[in-house]
Amino acid sequence: MFRKSREFWLLLLLMLLAGSSFAIQRFPRPEFETGYQQPETMLPGPRAEIMAVVDLAVLILALSAVSWMVLKKRSRKGVFWVSMFSLVYFGFYREGCICAVGSVQNVTLALFDPTYPIPLTVLAFFIIPLIFTLFFGRTFCAGVCPFGAMQDLVAFRPKTINSKVDAALGMMPYLYLGLAVLFAATGTDFIICRYDPFVGIFRINAGFSMLLFAAILLLTGIFIARPYCRYLCPYGVLLNWISRFSYRHMTITPAECINCRLCENSCPYGAIKIPNSVKYAETRRQRVRKLMFITLLFPFLMVGGGWAGSRLQETFAGVNRTVKLAKELLVSDQNGQDVESFEIKAFRSSGKPLTEVYQEARIILHRFLIGGWILGAFLGLTTGLMVAGKLLENHQSDYVPDKGACLSCARCTDYCPVMGNTMPTELNHKA
Amino acid sequence: MDKLPDKSPDRTIRSLHITAFAGSVFALILSVMLILNFLQMKRIDPLNSRTLILLNERLKTNPEDKTLREEIRSLDLLARKAFFTSQWQIRIGGYLLLISGLVVVISLKTTDFIVKISPDEPGRQKLDFWERQSASRKWIAGAGVVMICSALILAFMTDHELGRDLEHALGGAVAAKGEPANANVGSDKANRENRMVELPADVPGMVSDSVTQSADQPSGFAANPVGFPTQAEIRKNFPGFRGPGGIGIDHHKNIPVSWDGKSGKNIIWKTKIPLPGFNSPIVWDDRIFLSGANETRREIYGIDAGKGTILWTTVIDKVPGSPAKAPAVNKETGQAAPGMTTDGRRVYAIFANGDIAALNFEGKIVWVKNLGVPSNHYGHSSSLIMYKDRVIVQYDQRGSAAVMALAGPTGDVIWKTQRAVKVSWASPVLVHTGTRMELILAAEPFIAAYDPENGKELWRTDCINGEVGPSVAYADGRVFSVNEYSKLTAIQLGEQPRILWEDSEYLSDVPSPVATAQYLFLATSYGTVVCYNVLNGEKFWEHEFDQTIYSSPMMAEGRIYLLDKLGVMYIFNASDKFQLIGQPVLGEGTFCTPAFTDGRLYIRGNNNLYCIGK
Ligand code: SF4
Ligand code: SF4
Repeated sequence: MFRKSREFWLLLLLMLLAGSSFAIQRFPRPEFETGYQQPETMLPGPRAEIMAVVDLAVLILALSAVSWMVLKKRSRKGVFWVSMFSLVYFGFYREGCICAVGSVQNVTLALFDPTYPIPLTVLAFFIIPLIFTLFFGRTFCAGVCPFGAMQDLVAFRPKTINSKVDAALGMMPYLYLGLAVLFAATGTDFIICRYDPFVGIFRINAGFSMLLFAAILLLTGIFIARPYCRYLCPYGVLLNWISRFSYRHMTITPAECINCRLCENSCPYGAIKIPNSVKYAETRRQRVRKLMFITLLFPFLMVGGGWAGSRLQETFAGVNRTVKLAKELLVSDQNGQDVESFEIKAFRSSGKPLTEVYQEARIILHRFLIGGWILGAFLGLTTGLMVAGKLLENHQSDYVPDKGACLSCARCTDYCPVMGNTMPTELNHKA
Repeated sequence: MDKLPDKSPDRTIRSLHITAFAGSVFALILSVMLILNFLQMKRIDPLNSRTLILLNERLKTNPEDKTLREEIRSLDLLARKAFFTSQWQIRIGGYLLLISGLVVVISLKTTDFIVKISPDEPGRQKLDFWERQSASRKWIAGAGVVMICSALILAFMTDHELGRDLEHALGGAVAAKGEPANANVGSDKANRENRMVELPADVPGMVSDSVTQSADQPSGFAANPVGFPTQAEIRKNFPGFRGPGGIGIDHHKNIPVSWDGKSGKNIIWKTKIPLPGFNSPIVWDDRIFLSGANETRREIYGIDAGKGTILWTTVIDKVPGSPAKAPAVNKETGQAAPGMTTDGRRVYAIFANGDIAALNFEGKIVWVKNLGVPSNHYGHSSSLIMYKDRVIVQYDQRGSAAVMALAGPTGDVIWKTQRAVKVSWASPVLVHTGTRMELILAAEPFIAAYDPENGKELWRTDCINGEVGPSVAYADGRVFSVNEYSKLTAIQLGEQPRILWEDSEYLSDVPSPVATAQYLFLATSYGTVVCYNVLNGEKFWEHEFDQTIYSSPMMAEGRIYLLDKLGVMYIFNASDKFQLIGQPVLGEGTFCTPAFTDGRLYIRGNNNLYCIGK
């Protein structure tokens, strides 16, 4: 009876977690008339540099440990425990900041705004996982990323997602990455951080909507393993690309695949490539023709996407603080009114000329026009490439992980009965 | 990945399940408590406790009240205590919830490690690889289409005027500095706009000899500046009836408080206006504009603010669609009652026969048209108001009342919204409510607000009836409407505007009220002035001047300026105690509301325009 009811309890728990918001509520300072001097607001000083080095060391150690567990030990348990450590250290102790996923934005901003001094640790957090991926596959996802670890914890009943739905949803991370880059490049916002669903849990402090988002993700995560990683994570896009070229990626079998099919359904992320069955619906010629057609379509997809993206210029720009201020000023300047927002009041007291804000807003608006074109073209190209990818032949005859999508979690290794240099462990791991 | 039948007596698993169950129950109770706490805090909202706000308001009016002060302090302390206790509860609850969540996850996870699993039977039919690939291709393409459609829908829903507005604003600002209108902007749009303002050679109704140019035209006057004015520019000037936004609040300094028309004390100049009109003067830079009309002739005057010389007079006639005979109107309304307005680029005037014209600052007609003779038994009197580079017309006539925005440069109708109201003589008011611009109109049976961008109705409140003359007052998120034989209503704006209070002791049929964040000043046409508390309608004072008043009170420098029909200006403090500052006499009767600039005041008497100052 307990076994049956466990999902129910879990569902309930997560739903309620969403409901109980620990939203930050602020209260104005009391006004004293007794001459009491309000103390200056204290801002926490920058983290000691030595701690940055510690963070980096922990990152490298954790990455090495997972890579070793996956590639040498082929131990799911080992990976699991490292991931738990990372969850505690990078998640709860470091409160989800510093994070490789968000570092994409800092790097983008640094590329587009030369005056932005990107902290070296952030740069390292961006690059080091990519380097490890180039050598060993996505071992970062397997056991170092706290977001991944968090989702792994609740993946109790992973179901296989229909491949076509999976393919369509697979577009989302590209969209998210594109938007994150656009907003960071224009100095508008760091949307990955703003909409980070897990940080609220790590800090035990989040707004209602963020908690709801986190709860929905975790809830979904019971049945769809790692939904954020698979259908949202923008850093995952980069890891996916690089992992395809990884020097030594994990394998399901330690020796030779005997096509026993025991591992076929073992991957909760649907990342195992199944050997090609021979039933061809289309001849090779037909597919080549389609491939050529798609390739010829690329420029149109890019222009079409770019045009659609450019139409969003003002929608996107509306998020930018300067553009928002300019908009408010424009409205307010039509009519001498008494009620003005704090932003306008602050601006007016700054003595900055109005035209300067308008000029700035115009420049930003223009950037969003260009950015909209690039983003749309990028998504158009991605769509084309993904369609084209589905026309390519699959020559492998063994069960192998899809090097891009495989998160190197080492679950599948437990299912392979083949003895290699390492003994397959007992079939006793799930989750 | 199904489990092998769990035959083991496995007490560990059983206890793990019990732990998970207990953890879940605990978490559940905690969550419910946290949600309740959250909801309660949201409801009570100590930050905005109504009692505290009200008490604070009361303290402002009575700062010496020590008991009140103490009461506020202890209430404030209580609210803070409640707030911080709840914060503490939320924090501790959060931790406990996390811990119980962990207990649940750990127990379930451990069960997973202990329970043996078998690999899935691979026996099921393998799906054909190419079939799957082909379906995936379609779905990816579908996702692409969905993205493009969403982008287009989003784009469609966004207001695309920002770019243009910025160009306008920049163009305007540059021009105001005396640089070439489109220097530094260089965009096509700005150039296009600039061309549009250039005078068309053959505007219907524009007869070259109808413009009489005066010799002493000041040089260097901004020629056809593009765009529309900034708030600073608007406040520096006096662009329409009852000042910026038409709410009766002026922002100038050093306004005179004493003069005498008879002896000429503080009268800088006085100019005879050829044709009569009850429209009040408007001012932009060094120019004053007025209109005048009788049954046969309609004129617009550009007057030099420095000397009072009429620089030009433009006759509005031969307007296509204009009736041959002027409509019959009441003597006290006349053919030129509606106030003019200006955006600093053009001036706009409307007459009782429905002729509306835009002139540049040299008096040349930019466009002119007839809106159809308004079916109005006293005569049309709603003043024009400017918004961006548009002129807004409240055209509440019998049968087909409407409000519309015409493009300043061309006169094209940008939007027009029909109104289910009776005839109204009130003028539009345009305010920024803190979140948006609202164009507020009064006519039986409702006060309604419209989005000046597109004319969409934002809200309406049924609270007024009769032949509505007074326009609404606005301050600090509250709108005040009044009419004779109806009532005085205070409306609190917000998501859903609501009636704050009502009163019907004193009502006005011509003068419009004026409000501040604390006080509402109402003048009746029979000469009583009343000051109300805006929060609850409590009367602070009332004063009888015993004279007919048609002019609307204006607030400037913390004082109220109110003219009576004989030309006596009552100047009193805008406060909760009646305190007369002065009662200077013009020496000529007047119906109009004065206009202000720094150190000066302009009053249109029945025959002359006066400039008062030192
Ligand atoms: S996909 Fe993204 S969120 Fe998931 S584990 Fe990898 S980096 Fe972390
Ligand atoms: S290691 Fe195996 S189970 Fe894990 S993601 Fe890769 S293919 Fe899937």
